[in-house]
Amino acid sequence: MLRTAGASGNAATRTAGGVRTRGWLERLILSEYLVFYLTTAYFLAVWPIVPEIATASSLSNMLTDMLPLLVVAIGQTFVLIVAGIDLSVTSIIAFASVVGASVMTADGGYLGGSPLAVPAGILTFLLIGGLIGWFNGFCCTRLGMPPIIVTLTGLMFLSGTAIWYTTGHSETSSIAGLPKAFVLIGQGSAYGVPNALWVALAVGISAHLLLGHTVFGRWLYAIGINRKAAEISGVPVGTAILWTFVISGVCAAIASILFTGRLETGTPVLGQRILLDIIAAVVIGGTSLAGGKGKIVWTVGGVLFLVVIDTSLKLLGMSLFVVFAVKGGVILFAAIIDAMRQRIIMRG
Amino acid sequence: MAAEILRLDGLSKSFFGVEVLHAVSFALHRGEILGLVGENGSGKSTTMNILGGIHQADAGSITLDGRPYRPTGPRDAQEAGLAFIHQELNLFENLSIEENIFISGFPRRLGRLPLIDRGRIGQRTRELLDMVDVRYPPATPVGKLSQGERQLVEIAKALSQDARIILLDEPTTSLTRRETEKLFTIMERLRAQGIALIYISHILGDVLRVCDTIQVLRDGHLVGGGPRDEMPIDTLISLMVGRKIENLFPPRDTEPTTVPALEVEGITQSGVVRDVSFTLHEGEVLGVAGLMGAGRSELARILFGLDPFEAGRIAVGDTTLTEVSPEACMRHGMAFLTEDRRGEGLMMEATIADNTALPSLRAYARSLTGWIARSRLEDDVAEVSRRVQINTTDYRGMLVKNLSGGNQQKVVIGKWLLRQPKVFILDEPTRGIDVGAKFEVYKIVNQLVAEGTAVLFISSEMEELIGMCDRILVMSHGEITGIHERHEFDSERILETAMLKNLADVA
Amino acid sequence: MRKIEPRVSRRSFTVGALLAAGTAGLPIMVKAQEGKTVALLFDSLVSPFWVSGIEIMRAEAAERGWETLEAISDFDDNRQFEQVRAMIEREVDGILIIQTDANAVIPAIRAANEAGIPMVHFNRPPAESDAYSVAIQADNRKIMQDTVQFLVDEAKAMGGTYKACILIGDLGDVNAIQRRDGFFDIVDQHPDLIEVVARVSTEWNADKAFAGLTNALQANPDINFLVTSSDFLHPQIEQALKIAGKWHPRGEEGHVLFGGFDGDEGAYQRLIDGYLDACGVQNLFLEVDMAFGAFEDLWAGKQVDKLLLDPGFVITAANLEEVRDQMWGYIVWQQQQ
Repeated sequence: MLRTAGASGNAATRTAGGVRTRGWLERLILSEYLVFYLTTAYFLAVWPIVPEIATASSLSNMLTDMLPLLVVAIGQTFVLIVAGIDLSVTSIIAFASVVGASVMTADGGYLGGSPLAVPAGILTFLLIGGLIGWFNGFCCTRLGMPPIIVTLTGLMFLSGTAIWYTTGHSETSSIAGLPKAFVLIGQGSAYGVPNALWVALAVGISAHLLLGHTVFGRWLYAIGINRKAAEISGVPVGTAILWTFVISGVCAAIASILFTGRLETGTPVLGQRILLDIIAAVVIGGTSLAGGKGKIVWTVGGVLFLVVIDTSLKLLGMSLFVVFAVKGGVILFAAIIDAMRQRIIMRG
Repeated sequence: MAAEILRLDGLSKSFFGVEVLHAVSFALHRGEILGLVGENGSGKSTTMNILGGIHQADAGSITLDGRPYRPTGPRDAQEAGLAFIHQELNLFENLSIEENIFISGFPRRLGRLPLIDRGRIGQRTRELLDMVDVRYPPATPVGKLSQGERQLVEIAKALSQDARIILLDEPTTSLTRRETEKLFTIMERLRAQGIALIYISHILGDVLRVCDTIQVLRDGHLVGGGPRDEMPIDTLISLMVGRKIENLFPPRDTEPTTVPALEVEGITQSGVVRDVSFTLHEGEVLGVAGLMGAGRSELARILFGLDPFEAGRIAVGDTTLTEVSPEACMRHGMAFLTEDRRGEGLMMEATIADNTALPSLRAYARSLTGWIARSRLEDDVAEVSRRVQINTTDYRGMLVKNLSGGNQQKVVIGKWLLRQPKVFILDEPTRGIDVGAKFEVYKIVNQLVAEGTAVLFISSEMEELIGMCDRILVMSHGEITGIHERHEFDSERILETAMLKNLADVA
Repeated sequence: MRKIEPRVSRRSFTVGALLAAGTAGLPIMVKAQEGKTVALLFDSLVSPFWVSGIEIMRAEAAERGWETLEAISDFDDNRQFEQVRAMIEREVDGILIIQTDANAVIPAIRAANEAGIPMVHFNRPPAESDAYSVAIQADNRKIMQDTVQFLVDEAKAMGGTYKACILIGDLGDVNAIQRRDGFFDIVDQHPDLIEVVARVSTEWNADKAFAGLTNALQANPDINFLVTSSDFLHPQIEQALKIAGKWHPRGEEGHVLFGGFDGDEGAYQRLIDGYLDACGVQNLFLEVDMAFGAFEDLWAGKQVDKLLLDPGFVITAANLEEVRDQMWGYIVWQQQQ
């Protein structure tokens, strides 16, 4: 595993001068699993106020709530590691949702009622994610456009297109009548474990192995830390970055399958409001916007943190403004902790 | 001797319990140039930083003009009349000369009104530029100036702040010889005006050329010092490294072969290089000399596929490269040490092991899955790191940014040695590293050629080229203007070849 | 018209509204010890209609001794689904929901069914499905028919022929479709009197409404019969008509026959100023009463129809003082004065 300044959770930091031990507070702040400690602390703090949060069904709800978000966030982690950003993910979720649904729906879908509907539908989701990701990557690497511009305009274009597409395929604002077999991916369970969890586990473990144990993963960190040095060391920088966007697009498409399945509806506004949650979850986990740093486990922590906060606020029945304010405050707090840890590291 | 202006008395400083400066004392006089020399980590920068108010001394005192001087920030230093000129310049390239000079305090029109008095600025800037012999209109953007001219603008800026003491830290690193000479002339002129200068440099020849007195630091101790005439170069070196170095360059036992390793034919890229042809043989060190901007580094980048070229042919061994990219060049056994170690050579935020492994990852992975055989990789990384003698064994934990310049350079060399290159292009391999580390780099180069590797050695230090190379190519204005064989090496003649084109242009 | 007696009196609403306004931001941390707890799940609070709606609900719940828990989904279907599950988790006694999407709400209804918690849709019915819930909806088509009928009668009385323009809402919203249909039900019966020259698609977006209406007025400067599918577009309509020089009260030369829908405070103001001729009002008080009544019936084990209709009413200058107490916009208007 590639070790970087923030990533080394060592109690002692090595400096040219020698080794110095740190106090427990500094150790805690420097820990790469800080976000898990924060989540636990928050959970224990709200438990007395909303005891419902610790019930088995509430915990299982939290788990299933976090899965689609986690899958998109995993894709985003790849892009952030190479110092890119993919803002188009939520529009991929929405666009894939309506196009995929239009293939499968019993209400006049292209393959409605056919036994091929479900496999073809799933393939449609994945292809849309992959192709949009490839296009984003192509613009960023081969045409040299800044990722923020490419994916932001992609976000606008696809969000609009998703709504336009729906009006051509449905009388209402969304597409229902999805096959049972498809809906089960988002809702059902196998061997007592929600299907969505199987999917998320598969995505998470593959992503973890890809980043930590393969040449491709090492290349991504190298590009994020110093793109020029990576290039001179023979890393195919452009191709590697392009692939991060494809991965992000496919992950968004998988998240879209989970969302669409749980709502039994293909809707063009799906996921529109979670863009900030996705980026925030990855960054709170510890992945740097500047690139070169990031782990799947951290992203899991970041998503868990946001979902626990969200759930507690939902259970409290607070108004949306309070939810926004509290969430914003908590994210800011996490950012302050991150800044503190950078300072401690700099001080060496 | 003129009046004493600055006195350091028993300065000590520790970081995290490690003493980096131990009871350092010396004095600086009006109209004196004091050379401060020592290897990296010897305490020169710490001394500078204490004088500049960036760090505070743990013990000892500083006296400025007979009064105690305890700066707590750069502002204090500036107000006390100290100016610092660093290796990395602090100029804004998109602003003009006059804006850069007056950036920290524009003269205002009508007292404190926020209106800048352009006329006065222009006039004052012209006076200052005259003092440092820069002949540009004050409104010229700094981006258009050469490195040397920018250095002089920095000095003009120091003068604009009525500096009485100017500290120069490695100011000549990126200057051509001629620019360096000009800098020295200006320094001597400032000395005549009663300004005191502290000059820090690795290039001992320069220190001896320009300084009146020299102080030598080693491991935070002041180990010697005195008037220039009492400090010949071998004394300086033995003081700096704490032992006697018999010879600056290690002896080489092997002779170059006649088997071509790299053949370059007619490489041309307009505005950069023109019709460059040469052959590098196995076991040979081929030097490339030339002035700043002669196209040496540009040629290296083209050969390694980093920059494009319009015409020409590159062959490694007996294969002509059809595709020239870093990947393709590496496949054919080429390696490239860039002149910009921090910017392009290393991932500063990553460990020694990660840096060393980067170019070789594919060789340690399964072709289909890309799964890395980690223990085999780590064993080989450790072996090559030991071979280049990095002064730590914590290859998997130590971040490269925490290493000294010399050890960083060894990491760059190590990462290429792991690939066992047949052709190794070294662009300024000893820039900014200390005498001891230089010697070790030279030893590695000698080992490599003994094993048959061909080395293209680009350097701005003539002694180094003469000491290390079998042949020296001289470039000027993107063209090869001469090739010198070892038996006919002569720095004067090489310099002449390097300036050939210039003279022709003038004529 | 049937006389409707809402259970919420004006005074209790006013008091409740002020109280609610004061405590809106505060979290309700204490779970009800006794009485019932009802979840109010809104998709947004962007128009005065919904703000008044939630205030009336809070007041009505307080009067019945119920606790409320609130959540707003900000138009996010998935978030609303998660909110429903959280409310089930909190073991509320009933869920009142205003969903954005008629299809995407079905899994939420199923979840509520499974937990045995009654669910009532306020103002918008869900799509057809096997899941059971009760929807309260204004009889949009009927109310719009009545409104347009009044305008047609006025037109006949004044004589001449009319060029009509309708501002249509978002066609993803059943309400918008029903209101549009109600309009055409009446207008199509009078082809000699009225010609529809412009249909402005607003998608419930004020800027689009303004741009569309301005274009329509340029293309057809003789428009003199205007109906909007929602009152929240009044400011844009006023502006567009002013630019076209057509903003005149009743009785003045060049007055445009103008019909509205919803019954907000702006509509009331324009009614008394004479610019608005008729307004189809959704009886918000009655709808809240019907919704909460449905909860009580369901708790008592009674059968309740899947769709309950609010007949609404039309308010005009003629019946203004008689029916305005049931117009929610009038209450808001009064508070503002």
